[in-house]
Amino acid sequence: MATKMAVESERVTADVIEAQEFPDLARRYAVRGVPKIVINDYAEFVGALPEEQYVAQIRAAVAADAESSEGDGAVTAS
Amino acid sequence: MAIIAQRDQETIRNSFEEQMVGDVEIVMFTERPSPIILPFRGQCETCEDTERLLSEVAELSDKIKLTVHQLSTSGEEAASYGIDRVPAFVLKGAARGQVRFFGIPSGYEFSAFLADLIDTSRGSTDLSQATKEYLGTLTEDVNLKVFTTPT
Repeated sequence: MATKMAVESERVTADVIEAQEFPDLARRYAVRGVPKIVINDYAEFVGALPEEQYVAQIRAAVAADAESSEGDGAVTAS
Repeated sequence: MAIIAQRDQETIRNSFEEQMVGDVEIVMFTERPSPIILPFRGQCETCEDTERLLSEVAELSDKIKLTVHQLSTSGEEAASYGIDRVPAFVLKGAARGQVRFFGIPSGYEFSAFLADLIDTSRGSTDLSQATKEYLGTLTEDVNLKVFTTPT
């Protein structure tokens, strides 16, 4: 699913990582089950989700991203 | 002996023939065994197999080209793809974003990789219209890391 999204959108980079070959990455991203999907290095979910739910996860992560940067702006302004 | 069984080679060759549209370049970064033993640097255990597997796949279609670089001597090019470890490769074709693989795409991951090759060749996927529309609204970059295991 991630790779398909990268095919469709110039905004998306998909990294397919073989967890056993890169234990340092598996540790850093606390991989205990697969497939584990990490969005923008912080949001995550485990398991194969249907497309609609998969997109919902990304949508939520991207929205949270936007909100947190808006939040930073407000702090700076005050 | 080939990694991909003879029977599977035929099946894959046919599906490439039927479904691929444009050319795809697999740009691989590897580290071949060094005659000099470097301390603190482990050998790349799957580099050789990954290169063999990719070259076998590339032989199944004249639309697929495999380019192999040594990470140690192609640092700049690797960095341009955001690759800092081996084995790793990028699929270049009609994809709008970037599709990168770290590690050997074997087992269950192998068929997903073949599908990605075809999608990259076509520049389109079977994602729903709703998903495509959502992707079109993205204004910031999104990175998706997918951790897998061979089984």
